[in-house]
Amino acid sequence: MLWTDKFNLFIALVVPPLIVALLGILGNLSSDVEVSPIKCVLVSYDSDTFINENNFTESKLDDFQLPYINAVNDSDLLNLIRFYNASKEIYAMEMAREQLIQKQIEIIITIPVDFSELIDWGYPGLIDCIVDSSDPTQIQTSLNAVFDSIKIFINDNNLTPEFELTGFEEFSIPGNYNAKFNNSIVMALSFMVIGVGMVLTILVIVQEKPIARLLLTPVKRSEILSAKYITYTLVLVIQNISLVATALSFNLYIAGSVFDLFLALFILGFSGLSLGIFISSNSKTKTEANQLFFAVFLVLVLLSGTFIPISAMPIYLQAIAYILPLSHGDPLIRGIITKGKSIFGFDFYVLLIVSIILIILSFILFKRRKYEV
Amino acid sequence: MRCDIVIHDNDLMVEVKDLNVSFGKKHIVHDVSFDVKKGEIIGMFGISGAGKTTIIRVLTCQIEKKNWEGRVYITGLNPENKKEHSKILSNIGYVPQLEELNLYYELSPFANVDIFASTYGKEKREARRIAERFFSILDIPEDTWNKRVKQMSGGEKKRLSMAIGLIHNPGVLFLDEPTTGVDASKRYQILSYLKKLNQKLQTTMFIITHDLEAALICDKAAILRKGRMLDFDSPKTLIRSLPSEGNIARITIENLNEKIIESIKKFQPIKKLLRVGNDVIEIMMNDFDSNLPKLIQSIIDKQANITGMSRDLASFRRYFQIRVQEEEEKELDLYSNENIAIGVSE
Repeated sequence: MLWTDKFNLFIALVVPPLIVALLGILGNLSSDVEVSPIKCVLVSYDSDTFINENNFTESKLDDFQLPYINAVNDSDLLNLIRFYNASKEIYAMEMAREQLIQKQIEIIITIPVDFSELIDWGYPGLIDCIVDSSDPTQIQTSLNAVFDSIKIFINDNNLTPEFELTGFEEFSIPGNYNAKFNNSIVMALSFMVIGVGMVLTILVIVQEKPIARLLLTPVKRSEILSAKYITYTLVLVIQNISLVATALSFNLYIAGSVFDLFLALFILGFSGLSLGIFISSNSKTKTEANQLFFAVFLVLVLLSGTFIPISAMPIYLQAIAYILPLSHGDPLIRGIITKGKSIFGFDFYVLLIVSIILIILSFILFKRRKYEV
Repeated sequence: MRCDIVIHDNDLMVEVKDLNVSFGKKHIVHDVSFDVKKGEIIGMFGISGAGKTTIIRVLTCQIEKKNWEGRVYITGLNPENKKEHSKILSNIGYVPQLEELNLYYELSPFANVDIFASTYGKEKREARRIAERFFSILDIPEDTWNKRVKQMSGGEKKRLSMAIGLIHNPGVLFLDEPTTGVDASKRYQILSYLKKLNQKLQTTMFIITHDLEAALICDKAAILRKGRMLDFDSPKTLIRSLPSEGNIARITIENLNEKIIESIKKFQPIKKLLRVGNDVIEIMMNDFDSNLPKLIQSIIDKQANITGMSRDLASFRRYFQIRVQEEEEKELDLYSNENIAIGVSE
């Protein structure tokens, strides 16, 4: 009897241990996450020119700029992506900020004007930093990492431990908005929209028995599947409008455009919907579709980067994570809501391509699906 | 270069000549030929695996050309040509065995009509007008027309399914086991509805069924066995082809046993003797009218106690039974002859 349903048997016996194995791999990785270095850029406004009230003379004092760069490089908690010399690159800060918006870095460390001179004269050292506060849980970790670099700098150069670190929060929620609501909704939206999209469609093919009979009418298979896409896309549009309207009525802060947020939710939902139809086209029974949904959704969640940063995963898991829609949901929505990013970026195009591939695969599977009346 | 000139009789709805269907090495249908005229009801009879459904699947464009050979035309169109499929499917209707394959249970009968009518490009208003007519012919209560299908009774669902199959006024309607799963009293009701629709709409109907009672409404019956068509003619003609032109003597004998049967069989004119119940036999014989009194006398002479007797015309069920039995016997003879031949050669 068991062999009559081999695929379900496969799912029941192979998928749960695979998920446990995946959890195991991710669990091992979680210990490494704490030491995963924070990506930063260093922008230096320090110069060797001492500005005297009476005359301008070239400083003969020590240059502490290079030793601090070395300290940042030596810190295990920081990963220096780039150094900008602001006295030569006039748009250094703008370029660094763009990297922060694009989430290529998490912090900008700034060496202020006369940094070396002040240390030379025995004044307390000054370091400024701009922290990406779109994810509030990461702010303290970033500041700690900068402190670590300062400690190394002090030790390596036998300086007095007087130092001042000034942090500026970038992309934080303005005071007149509810930061808690904003942060929780950003995380929930992508899970919710993809999950609902999948749940809505996993049974549309496998459950609808009259499809077999419809195939004995002049209607083509491609027309049947297209009709399903159109119908559920309309449901998705209504769902997204109501989601955005409800969020706005609860005073959601959106740094970017509301239309971009709507489009982001739409493309996320559409990828979930395409994944659901793909599962349905590929399943022979309702049970099989439900089990596949459970397995796929669990993998989507585990590899979404929410629990373990994708960059901390082994390269083969990163490759899988980057093609899964949910991994692009959080950065896309967070980017629009907290950073004011435009929707048209890497995450959007990945979601679009994944959806198109899933649609093509669903059409192929549905065309080959056997129906008998 | 060979050029086939095909002349179609306008009255012919289905033409099948030398149809063979194979799936890999498995030969399912062997040299089947038949023609069906407009307005005829055809019954396709046979036990499971006879090839009934396979033939219908060829006619309804469900089997790829690589799997079948022969000349097939349906409503003058050739299913061999994929481009014709859409036209063929527009000209035919299909009523599956299970209503759940033909109806959306969560929707109303009218919503179902809208869905299926739209697949044939029919306008909603026109489709509903046609549907109302069919619903009336099929006695589907008006108060159910806007309720959900799942609230309808089994018989109502079956009739609704028929209406849906006819919604686009097809030239040929295929009905798969229309009376299966229906209790005896409703079976005749469904058959009479089909006849009523056939007479009113002049739709050619193919009834694929195990239910031999369906022959009552059929103009022609096709009997299939192991992919071969044994007969294709009107049930009446088929019954008349039996010994004694289908006349049977049904005799009830007290304490009937094999010994008595064997002794009765010795009466020379008997062509067929069937035991049809504990105490009942049916007999067919040459010169039925003149030999019947002699048969009775011969049974009485054998000290068998006759408790009842009637003279009747064989039913289609009996014809089917005899015909299939004959084929089985032929097959057994062939098999035993082959075995003997093998034994001799060895």
